Amino acid sequence: MRVSNYYRKILVSLCLLSVFSLSSNSFADEANSTAESTSRVWKNVEMRGTKQDVYFHAWGGDQQINNYIQWAAKQVKEKYKINLHHVKLTDTSEAVSRVLAEKAADNHRNGQVDLVWINGANFASMAKYQLLAADWAGELPNFQLTNPTNNPAMTRDFGVPTQGMEAPWGQAALTFYFDSLKVNDVPETLSDLLIWSEKHPGHFTYPKPPDFLGMSFLKYALLVLSESQPKSIQDKLYQPVTAESEAELLPALWQFLDQLHPTLWRQGKHFVSNGLALRRLMSDTELQVSFTFSAAEIPSAISRYDLPDSTRSYRMKDGSLSNIHFVAIPYNSPHIEGAKLVANFLLSPEAQARKQKTVIWGDSSVLDLSQLTPTQKALFDVNEQQHLSANIINIDNTRLLSELHPSWVKVITEQWLTRYGVQ
Amino acid sequence: MIVANTLFTRLVRNSPYLLIALLVVPVLGGLLGVLLPAFGWFPALGANEFGLFGFVQLFNTPGIERMVLLSFGTSLVSTLLAFVITVLILASYFNSPWLKRIQRLLGPILVIPHAAAAIAIGFLITPSGFLSRLISPWLTGWDIPPDWLFPHDPYGLSIILGLTLKELPFLLLIALGVLAQPEIGKTLKAQHKVASSLGYCPMTGFFKVILPSLYGYMRLPILAVLAYSSASVEIPLILGSNTPPTLAVAIMQWFNDVDLSLRIKASSGAILQILITLSLLGSWCLLELLVKKCSTSFLVNGEREYGGMLIQRMTHLITTVMLSVICLALVAMVLWSFAGFWSFPDLLPQQLVTLHWSSALLQMQTPLFNTLVIAISTTLIAIALTLFVLEAEQQNTKTISAISGFIIYLPLLIPSIAFLFGLVWLFEQVNSQHAYINVVFSHLLFVLPYVFLSLANSYRRLDPRFSTVAASLGVQPSKIFWQLKLPLLLSPILIASALGLAISFSQYLPTLLSGAGRINTITTEAVTLANGASRRTSAVYALMQMLLPALFFILAWAAPKLFFRNRG
Amino acid sequence: MKSQSMSSLKIDNLQLSQQGKLLLSLNEEVKGGEVLTIMGPSGSGKSTLLNWLVGMLPSDFYANGELYLNQQIITNTASHLRNIGLLYQDPLLFPHLTVEGNIAFAMPKGDKKTRKDEISEALNQVGLAGMEKRCPQNLSGGQQARVALLRVLLSKPKAILLDEPFSKLDSQLRQETRQLVFEQIQRYSLPAVMVTHDESDAIAAQGKVITLDALSLNQAAS
Repeated sequence: MRVSNYYRKILVSLCLLSVFSLSSNSFADEANSTAESTSRVWKNVEMRGTKQDVYFHAWGGDQQINNYIQWAAKQVKEKYKINLHHVKLTDTSEAVSRVLAEKAADNHRNGQVDLVWINGANFASMAKYQLLAADWAGELPNFQLTNPTNNPAMTRDFGVPTQGMEAPWGQAALTFYFDSLKVNDVPETLSDLLIWSEKHPGHFTYPKPPDFLGMSFLKYALLVLSESQPKSIQDKLYQPVTAESEAELLPALWQFLDQLHPTLWRQGKHFVSNGLALRRLMSDTELQVSFTFSAAEIPSAISRYDLPDSTRSYRMKDGSLSNIHFVAIPYNSPHIEGAKLVANFLLSPEAQARKQKTVIWGDSSVLDLSQLTPTQKALFDVNEQQHLSANIINIDNTRLLSELHPSWVKVITEQWLTRYGVQ
Repeated sequence: MIVANTLFTRLVRNSPYLLIALLVVPVLGGLLGVLLPAFGWFPALGANEFGLFGFVQLFNTPGIERMVLLSFGTSLVSTLLAFVITVLILASYFNSPWLKRIQRLLGPILVIPHAAAAIAIGFLITPSGFLSRLISPWLTGWDIPPDWLFPHDPYGLSIILGLTLKELPFLLLIALGVLAQPEIGKTLKAQHKVASSLGYCPMTGFFKVILPSLYGYMRLPILAVLAYSSASVEIPLILGSNTPPTLAVAIMQWFNDVDLSLRIKASSGAILQILITLSLLGSWCLLELLVKKCSTSFLVNGEREYGGMLIQRMTHLITTVMLSVICLALVAMVLWSFAGFWSFPDLLPQQLVTLHWSSALLQMQTPLFNTLVIAISTTLIAIALTLFVLEAEQQNTKTISAISGFIIYLPLLIPSIAFLFGLVWLFEQVNSQHAYINVVFSHLLFVLPYVFLSLANSYRRLDPRFSTVAASLGVQPSKIFWQLKLPLLLSPILIASALGLAISFSQYLPTLLSGAGRINTITTEAVTLANGASRRTSAVYALMQMLLPALFFILAWAAPKLFFRNRG
Repeated sequence: MKSQSMSSLKIDNLQLSQQGKLLLSLNEEVKGGEVLTIMGPSGSGKSTLLNWLVGMLPSDFYANGELYLNQQIITNTASHLRNIGLLYQDPLLFPHLTVEGNIAFAMPKGDKKTRKDEISEALNQVGLAGMEKRCPQNLSGGQQARVALLRVLLSKPKAILLDEPFSKLDSQLRQETRQLVFEQIQRYSLPAVMVTHDESDAIAAQGKVITLDALSLNQAAS
């Protein structure tokens, strides 16, 4: 698990403040008794969760992921007789709306959503309006395998503490890709990208915010651009946005975009609405360089002829935005135990290792390999034949950039729309 | 008229109330579910005070006036275009076998879901699209696609193109449905013959004799098309600009935004959308008045010929272009569903594979089953209820009141985006957990008006003397209904059923929202995939979506012919 | 107006067949002011004959022979250019136009005032004075029939076809209307072909009567 230095620092100070102020003995005792009560609690969960119907609301736009969820459904059916139904969403916010509508209608017990695949702003929203069940992730036996005490990213979602409202599922980093037959001067830094786009106008674009992928590109740009600033100002990106931090950090982004936009696809007068449209435009050869959060979709798209065989993927040298995605249980789920069993299964070495395989999904595991037994570790060994595009260039020497505080999303979106939303 | 008091007549007599309730409660309830938040009342978000801040936020949105203008302009122009082309086609091919052929070619377009149609059109007209490949590189010299702002142009031209192509078959089908009714069709054709014997060229005869009568039957469908297009989401989303988008698209995005406080702005936007739609309907009615006023002397001035040949040639051209666009889009769609990699400017894919079909067909069974179950139950309810209500009219010897008549079209005239989100809230209120029933219920809102629209005229036009004769022979009202009226109306009933099925097949938002996403139909799958990255898989689904309703339309057209042929 | 020798409708050696089967053959000339009556049961080819005369023969029929109107051959002239007026059993008035509008629709182009006066005068002659602005739906059956007649006559046809023109009228009205129609035909000196079921129509027409048998041909002089 890679975590930015920033998170390590925060964690250390938090630990110093809150944990170590208690006696270290009581901490150990508590850990023991917690383990004991956890197993009792968990037995109870297993007993009640068996045979439940669990409605898992998860984005359904990718056949590989859908197939993986189908596989998971088969497994939990065998293990717990749980009927896992995949409710395919076009956008995770649909599930958020649904739970919100249920809350508005005073339906506090019989919600339609039992488990939801979520992170970032959707999570922040649900947490803000108290739409999620809290303090359950720690109960999951497999949660310990993520080594949460040493791995603060597992309990923070875009900088917001998860407070046990969600269990980690996988992680992703921004990956760029290009057609190696058409492009021979791949831009490997943000400033390169601007120069490249000026040289090859109309062959790069990003989705219109607030689309998640488009937002991610803007965040990447903002993070890289802010590196010229003193550390104290840079750090403000990880804190709730203020008028002051806005004035210090955003102008550089707008200046960059003002330069970049005229060189973009459709001269920056039209932006695609979602990330998947980028891949379609790559397939149509309208774009020549593009990016995604799920690198594994590239070899799989090639195998389905949606991208040319000559596609290769790489990471930017000046950093790659990365984040963890989670599963959460709405506060009004009637099948909370079943949902926990599913969440726990999704965290199992078996499920995580399968998920990491490029041919299955290719989503990075969130487990800390040091916590696993040798047999479990062996599950993660790669011996599959991979397409060349599955080897991500620069994967070992890129810096992973952490997500900004979610409050920045709204500010960036609003200002972006004011500046570029009407053309 | 004195009617016997039997179970059948009681059932019939009460059916209008059921119909009204089925339409009014969800729409008004749904509107309430939007109206309250629009004025700032949304307890779940901690908003408990009425106020106008939603509207203040709305009007402070950058580009709001452009959004409104785009919504207004694209729907008015596309409806006008669709109507004019419909009339031109009817006028040029009236009494010609081509009318049936064109209809058969256009019919399937009616049932292609908007999203799939938009993608198909998009593929034709994008710079890397089929049209551009047809002329590249030999004519244009393009090795890479040109970087044009079309589709997605800021004037909404691509939206207009998409909407027109989608609306046209609907209007044409409605008009032909009217002409297919024995009473009206025969009279109109005889009147056309009279005009011809009075020296009118067929084109002028159509405009001066048929159109004024025919328009009366097409009026409500046109208004429905206008209302629908003003608030439709799929075509502007896929073909339209998003800097800024149309209002309806913006509303949907606000409703779906992760920032839940945008719900209030979205609700205010929904109210604004309703106002736009109403003003569009008003504008159309004004336009009607104007045309009527200007045309009175034109109708009787005795002029027999207005460059009919020229108009006819123009119509031939428009029709040919349109049909080629549609055929090319279909060809492209079929090619995509079998395409291996296909790079610009190749006219054909590098290889053809069946992978996309085989993997899609494996996953299609449940959605297919759901689609059929929902569509058939919805259509059956809609047809039965419509027939009962129309029968009730005849028993009461008056048409349903103006208010009821209006209510039937309520779901078509009120933008669905405005009340569907509220409807989900309403389902929550009554705690209705049965996803299937919820979905059928919400489909009914859209199927019922269309079925009613397509059946009412034929039923009302049915010569009352048939039943009078039968009644005088001592036949029970129920028997008259089942054994006399229904067989006489077989053809319109079948067409209405096919239409109902097609409407149900194509519903996206209602299925998604009221089914809590638990019910996957071919359409929800297709839209999900259409928004995804694979044109190939979505081409497969789009083709499936066309095949399904096309099958029922063919049945609807063929069955009466077989039926009557057997009778000699 | 006096009868003009020029005015005539000539059916020259017509043979109408369907799928190779002869339906009827006819060779007649109708002079201006005369009425040729065609009688016969349904299926005898009466309406097919009418369709041929107006140029709207369905494609599954085949016709051999020529049609002359005032010595001009019009066999292949488009129906709207033939100048042959049609009067059906249904008045088929246009519901979106007034009585005046219906008649004006039929009249040739011209000065608005002149046309208006002509309509008023014509209405006056058939006992419908002052009904210009009425809607056709609000007229009685007999009134509608008279408006339909005026509509045909004021369109200045060169010949007129009557398709069961009086069959929907009751006997009193029938007689009156019939008389009016034949008077007007005489007055305008139009060659007329009438198809009817009714013996009394044939007698009143005072012209030649041809009786068609189903699928064969019979002629009888009155």
